Amino acid sequence: MGDVTLTIDDRTVTVPAGTSVWEAAARLGIDIPVLCHDPRLRPVGVCRVCAVDTGERTLPASCVREVQEGMQVRTDTDEVQAHRRVLTELLLADQPPVSRREATTGHDQLYALARRLGVGTIPWPDGAEGHPRGEDWSSPVIAVDHQACILCDRCVRACDEIQHNDVITRSGKGYATRIAFDLDAPMGESSCVSCGECVAVCPTGALTHRALPAAAAGEGSQP
Amino acid sequence: MKRFDAGAAAPALDDIREVPTLCPYCGVGCALAYGVDREGIIHYARGRDGASNAGRLCVKGRYGFDYASHPQRLTRPLVRRDEAYPRGPLSAFSRPGASGPRKPGGIVDYAEVLPHFREASWAEALDRVAAGLAGVRDRHGADAVAGFGSAKGSNEEAYLFQKFIRAVIGTNNVDHCTRLCHASSVYALMEGIGSGAVTNVVRDVENAEVAVIAGCNPTANHPVAATFIKQAAAAGTKLLAVNVRRPGLADYAQQYCQIRPGTDVAFYNAVMHVLIDEGLHDRAFVAERTEGFEALREVVARYSPEAVAGITGVPADEIAGFARTLGRAGSAMFFWGMGISQHVFGTDNARCLIALALLTGNIGRPGTGLHPLRGQNNVQGASDAGLIPMYYPGYQKVADATVRARFEGLWGVPLSPEPGLTTAEITHAALEGRIRALYCMGENPFLSDPDVNRVRESLSSLEFLAVQDIFLTETAEFADVVLPASSFMEKRGSYTNTDRRVQLGRPVREPPGEAREDWRIIAALARRLGHDWDYADEAAIFDELVAAAPLYANLSHERLGDNGRWYPCPSPESDGERLLFTERFPIGRGRFVPAELGEAPDLPDAEYPLVLNTGRQLEHWHTGVMTRRSRALDALAPEARVEVHPDDAGRLGIADGDWTRLTSRRGSVQVQAKVTDDVALGTLFLPMHFREAAANLLTSPELDPYGKIPEFKICAVRLERLPEPE
Repeated sequence: MGDVTLTIDDRTVTVPAGTSVWEAAARLGIDIPVLCHDPRLRPVGVCRVCAVDTGERTLPASCVREVQEGMQVRTDTDEVQAHRRVLTELLLADQPPVSRREATTGHDQLYALARRLGVGTIPWPDGAEGHPRGEDWSSPVIAVDHQACILCDRCVRACDEIQHNDVITRSGKGYATRIAFDLDAPMGESSCVSCGECVAVCPTGALTHRALPAAAAGEGSQP
Repeated sequence: MKRFDAGAAAPALDDIREVPTLCPYCGVGCALAYGVDREGIIHYARGRDGASNAGRLCVKGRYGFDYASHPQRLTRPLVRRDEAYPRGPLSAFSRPGASGPRKPGGIVDYAEVLPHFREASWAEALDRVAAGLAGVRDRHGADAVAGFGSAKGSNEEAYLFQKFIRAVIGTNNVDHCTRLCHASSVYALMEGIGSGAVTNVVRDVENAEVAVIAGCNPTANHPVAATFIKQAAAAGTKLLAVNVRRPGLADYAQQYCQIRPGTDVAFYNAVMHVLIDEGLHDRAFVAERTEGFEALREVVARYSPEAVAGITGVPADEIAGFARTLGRAGSAMFFWGMGISQHVFGTDNARCLIALALLTGNIGRPGTGLHPLRGQNNVQGASDAGLIPMYYPGYQKVADATVRARFEGLWGVPLSPEPGLTTAEITHAALEGRIRALYCMGENPFLSDPDVNRVRESLSSLEFLAVQDIFLTETAEFADVVLPASSFMEKRGSYTNTDRRVQLGRPVREPPGEAREDWRIIAALARRLGHDWDYADEAAIFDELVAAAPLYANLSHERLGDNGRWYPCPSPESDGERLLFTERFPIGRGRFVPAELGEAPDLPDAEYPLVLNTGRQLEHWHTGVMTRRSRALDALAPEARVEVHPDDAGRLGIADGDWTRLTSRRGSVQVQAKVTDDVALGTLFLPMHFREAAANLLTSPELDPYGKIPEFKICAVRLERLPEPE
């Protein structure tokens, strides 16, 4: 395979052929924001937040774009920043107002990205108005809020490729597209074994732990 | 226009700190971090990048951590009231003939049991335990006292407990629940290759061309290990599953052989028959690294696939196919579980798997090896630390005078030369009056030992029983004194997982009330009995364990760090050995020990026509003491179900969810039915976790002659539909 040398933000790096631009940047300590990618998963490039400028006509997703010899990458041009910002605003437009992940489970990557980009007002229509995507409280341990789902497929890949339980898939078309369990069963009735890997990889409040500590029982559970 | 309010995040997790520690459940030994608040309440578990789990967790690790903060935790020492004698069970559930679904839930009813105890100070409780144990010793001799340690305690606790029984009491009657899970495997391994530890780590399955999954159900019992096995299968490793009840991994297997209960020896002998017959065995390995091949050849010659097909229920061509897949593979790993070991012929079953590995040359290279999957988080370590009646720490024989002299020097006391009794032998001996006092730390023999009625009589007949635990268990109902101990979440200590990896667990909360760390309780008892036990901390105990057991050379708490190390560990800087016996076995050459097909003691007849198999289910843990007090796990699996084949169910007029009565020659339980073809026709499966349907009311107390492991897997039963629970 051999090595490839490229430049990212004016810094030169040499990595094995087949490395993604995102990984090469990480090696330099350059943090390219991303929502659909986790280094343990096969990258799929669906959220497009990690897009970078490679001098081409469009901005490719760095998590799936392989490095090329002599490639010149910029990760923080005005165009890249504007692109990230618009995507983040669009994703936020129909998110619940408060992150259930931050309230119950941990770090919300979408909300963190919005803060990092200084997003305040969202100039886009809220697609959820009149079209709520629904919630699923059938599992005693995992809460599913389809409204907070950004369809990044991390849960699908984690269930398939990390735990090999093969439970989660997608269902529906257009705005009604949702993640689904088995043949669209309620999670608590599906073949899910509650390993929680989907919650661990979810970047938003779509898949969260239901509150477990005895002291907090009742809080964070179904409203 | 909608706004994003950056400050709207709920403050719930603001004060959380993460404590890097381990999962308290199975032998996989997953590294995790608990998110803990200032009050010590755990909010979540996050998988860490440990050697055995790479960040993965299963439902028990992810959601089963709240048992330690359950309101029923014992917080003060308890002493049995004078009115509560003569000794016997205190709850209706634990009395003879009482098993049945009278109440929802299954944990001990504190309202019923607690009034029979009064609270006591630590000074009084420790005095009573010291006097109770020493009194029996002085009146009846040290061998009238016995101790049960636990495979859930740390290495330090296991070491100190066995040292207490040996050095302070003066007997080798010390054992723990390994006796109920892998004692037969360990016996066969010691005999065959000279070491009871696994020869290779689970994750090396990714380098194996074939993996034999024998008598185990990793997706339920070692779920995170199962994910690596499934991952290997997805990448091309061929899984060959052999079981009486369909394991979840069968979905990923190249071949699944559903054998009849108790026919493992016939099956594996036939596989070896084909391997030798077709020249698929590894002649070079057999010649260079083994002995006893001719004796094996003679025995397996009588087990042709055709001769065995009718016995095992597996067609001859499938047995031959199994043998060819295995024989042609460049590398193969062998995983096994309780389906192999928990039989009166468990040692013979394990001998066959060891012989199969030796015959095919599959030990000592990447992607090969023998791996009896360890059940509890510290089964390996508790055995290493000497919680075994015939071995001092590090598997050094108590009967060996040179070894004994060394331990007498180390501990500064004379030691008994007589190997002690094993767990089931101890309960048997109590019935005969040979054991009169028992110190039980973290074990629940009332539910975990076979034949509960016998255990009940046995516990009732003791002169003195001290129970050290975190909840009132069924066993504690018989105690004179109950000592409130520390949970996994409240102590520092090392644990050795199924891969031989020694890792550190760290405290995430304080023990409730006056509950104390187990090692401090043991040391306080030793001091009361005149021994100068003055350990600065857990690390000092570990250092003494390392000095006693050369097995753990080069390890220390400091060197274990956040991620642990494998033993044997050749140097202080090494991560330890992933793979053992690349050149030679501890006994030189591996030994073939041929086995003949045995017969279970409790076989079906007209009155008891079905065969009952017992085991675990994903959401629960052993006698349920922890998991049934975990809100999430209890919600996911609140009740016991006996699994019935659809044809048997149809014949008996039983529908899914119907109440049934399950009766063996020893007892009877009422339980709802689950109709599934995971179990074979004529067989049933009942999980062991539920006291209201206690599987061990039914099981037979017969023991394997070598490993002294009980027959948990085969017992003849009758199943009847009940119109409604009585």
